[in-house]
Amino acid sequence: MADDKKPRALATQAAAKIPKFVRGNMSETLKAREEGKKVAYAYINDGQDEIMRAMDIIPAWGESFSGVCAAKRDAEKYLQKAESDNFSRSLCTYATCTLGFDMLREEMSGEMPPGAPWGGMGRPDMIIGSGQQLCDPRFKWPQATQHYLQDVPVFVGSMYYPPWDPNINQKEQEKIYVKYATEELRACVGFCEKHTGRKMDWDRLASLVDLTDRTWDIFIDTYELRKAIPTPMDTGDAMNTMVPLTFNLGTQEAYDFYADLNNELKQKIEQKQGVADEEKYRILWGAGLPSWFALGDFQYFNINGAVFPAETTYRNAEKIERLDLPKTNDPLEHIAWRWVRFWTHWYDKARQRPGSIPKVERIIEYTEDYKCDGVVFHSAFSCRSWHAGIVQQAEILRKVYKDIPVLIMEGDIVDISSYNEADTHNRIDAFIEALETAKSKR
Amino acid sequence: MMEQYGNGLATAEKYYSQYGSRAKALKSEGRKVVGYLSALAPVEIMTAANTIPLRLKGNVSEAITKADAHMETIVCPFVRNVFDAALKGKYDFLDGMVLPHQCDSIDRTNDVWSYNLNLPYWHFLNYPHVTDDPSIEFTQSILRIFINTLEKFTGSRITDEALTQAVKAHNENRRLMRELYSLRKADFPLISGVEMMKVLVAVMSLPVEESSALVGNVIKEVSGRETPVGEKLSRIMLIGDQIDDTAIIKAIEGTGANLVMDDLSIGSKMYWADVDITPDPVQGIAERYLRKLKLPTTCVTAGNNYQENLEARFGHIKQNIKDFKVDGVVLFIYKFCDPYGFEVPAMKGFIESTGVPVLYLEDEYSSSTLPRVKTRIEAFLEMIA
Repeated sequence: MADDKKPRALATQAAAKIPKFVRGNMSETLKAREEGKKVAYAYINDGQDEIMRAMDIIPAWGESFSGVCAAKRDAEKYLQKAESDNFSRSLCTYATCTLGFDMLREEMSGEMPPGAPWGGMGRPDMIIGSGQQLCDPRFKWPQATQHYLQDVPVFVGSMYYPPWDPNINQKEQEKIYVKYATEELRACVGFCEKHTGRKMDWDRLASLVDLTDRTWDIFIDTYELRKAIPTPMDTGDAMNTMVPLTFNLGTQEAYDFYADLNNELKQKIEQKQGVADEEKYRILWGAGLPSWFALGDFQYFNINGAVFPAETTYRNAEKIERLDLPKTNDPLEHIAWRWVRFWTHWYDKARQRPGSIPKVERIIEYTEDYKCDGVVFHSAFSCRSWHAGIVQQAEILRKVYKDIPVLIMEGDIVDISSYNEADTHNRIDAFIEALETAKSKR
Repeated sequence: MMEQYGNGLATAEKYYSQYGSRAKALKSEGRKVVGYLSALAPVEIMTAANTIPLRLKGNVSEAITKADAHMETIVCPFVRNVFDAALKGKYDFLDGMVLPHQCDSIDRTNDVWSYNLNLPYWHFLNYPHVTDDPSIEFTQSILRIFINTLEKFTGSRITDEALTQAVKAHNENRRLMRELYSLRKADFPLISGVEMMKVLVAVMSLPVEESSALVGNVIKEVSGRETPVGEKLSRIMLIGDQIDDTAIIKAIEGTGANLVMDDLSIGSKMYWADVDITPDPVQGIAERYLRKLKLPTTCVTAGNNYQENLEARFGHIKQNIKDFKVDGVVLFIYKFCDPYGFEVPAMKGFIESTGVPVLYLEDEYSSSTLPRVKTRIEAFLEMIA
């Protein structure tokens, strides 16, 4: 049973539009069949967005569906269903939530299970995963899903980047990685062509790749407006405004959303309109996916005068000019370069600071640029991908940068059973005190 | 040196209980010891580099006391335990380490390991998860990068000839191990599961020639045993990743069953597939590690339909169930393991469709939880008896 939970207050009008955006994405997957379009189960940051969009394939995002279930505190029935078929509670709950949903829908011969949040997700015609270096579920989740949707074809590609090694110049390896990623994207095109019965329109793909470049640019331009004091938008809103970048890349709607957000933030800056009544502390969200069922915690920070002008989470974009991408006429190769360089472009900086690592260098960069007083991490128990290594990042940050206040919160992305609001707020209170102490020493 | 392996099982017991002692002794003789995790480490390359490859293990009887300060508890309990052992100095004789990209628990903690152990040599071997032709070509490239870093570290070139020799030596080692496994096919296996586990663990700490000598001597020793008489016991297969302690095997065999086969990453997974001798040895190595090793971290999409895909992923288990006349399967998965965990319904269903029951257990890399594991194993064995 879903809890009646008061939604989090949002600082921007743009963020308030997001539920409609998400509903629209989910509803497209339900209307696709009658519109003669194919639906693909898809997974974020796999680099396959423009390919799907260019072929009019409607992506059904598992992470989005599970996030909605979690935010509505209505994921438990799906988690339990998955658990009933031996999917452990310690596995990625984004995946187990949608697996439970798929299992229920199949038991109902493809009919939508009653009470599916926001109408549910359409049954896919194909599954497009990626065995990339982002997380194991990205290739295990499609396989596990096929166990219940056995008629649905699965493609799993690859999108790797050179690992960080202070003794190896990644630039010597990048071409190997880009060549590989390009070939995998080409295989993805082949799969999509086979299962849609259509040929790729390469000019259209090139224009969508260009649109994505421009979307990355305006996204970063817009987010950098948050450097203003007081910040006009914090991470609480960013966990909503990430939707177009994450789930609608390669669409004009995504670009237009950030153009609107950009205008809104400029107005707020002009009016010196901040997130908190009195902005006392500026905090970086250093790493970790949020507890979607507890986004109200951001407001708890705000009430205490703490705001988050930046976050690493869901900021998976960079100004294109900063990536120094080699020129190519192949849109797939361009996608590959863009993603490989996105992951490696902090390497050179990390190499210049002995003992540092790229993830910490990124935190230092944002801490400086956004004038942050402390760093908050969130460790979600069901996700190793984003959350293993956080303790080490905090340790290195203090060692190579400065003794900055750090809070590591613990919870999950979807599974509310791990969450205790009173404990969380107590920890936030203690952290605010630490921020105050650090500030008074300056 | 080889004569020390005359009494195979006693030697296996020694290197099982004093894990790493041989590598440590070789280090004192001036050899370089390179530790590694996972079945994905290409030991042929480490052998060709004239280093001593040492597969790291933890200690299920020892609580994690140091690792938690640096590594999250959501990481694979095996990885945490080994890291804890390394922090406590168990492997302080290592010259370096190679971490193959098997799973998130290794990939995402690479920095944690390298930062805290601070060894002279470190390499993250970035295997892909998919197995198509571009992935093979990519794997060859990353293996060459690995070779280059080892050459720099040792100061010696790794020639194709040395690689081919190492490939042959490791293939011979695998052949011998398969021969030893075949002695478990009889109604009354000539080597117990506990003894086999000790051999499997002991050999992963030895240079390949010494490993082969040990396995050869164990074969001779157990082949000479008299065939036992009495009641035939239930025949069990154990599936999992790095189970490297006899505790679970004792729980199975102590309840009146024989562990006759495994699909473990230190067991049959390691020894069933050879490296093809190819003009470019790196090609054969890449194909073996990416396509032939049956690990859940490589995404096999082969097959024209789902059933064919299951055959491609788990058909080898079905074959081994038949060859080793297995009555029941214990599927033992570590907590927080996405690659194995997401396979459970598919694998369990596939095995059960052959008529063989499966006991699925999810647990820690720790003997502290053994009593509850034992209770469930006992109930399972009672059911299938």
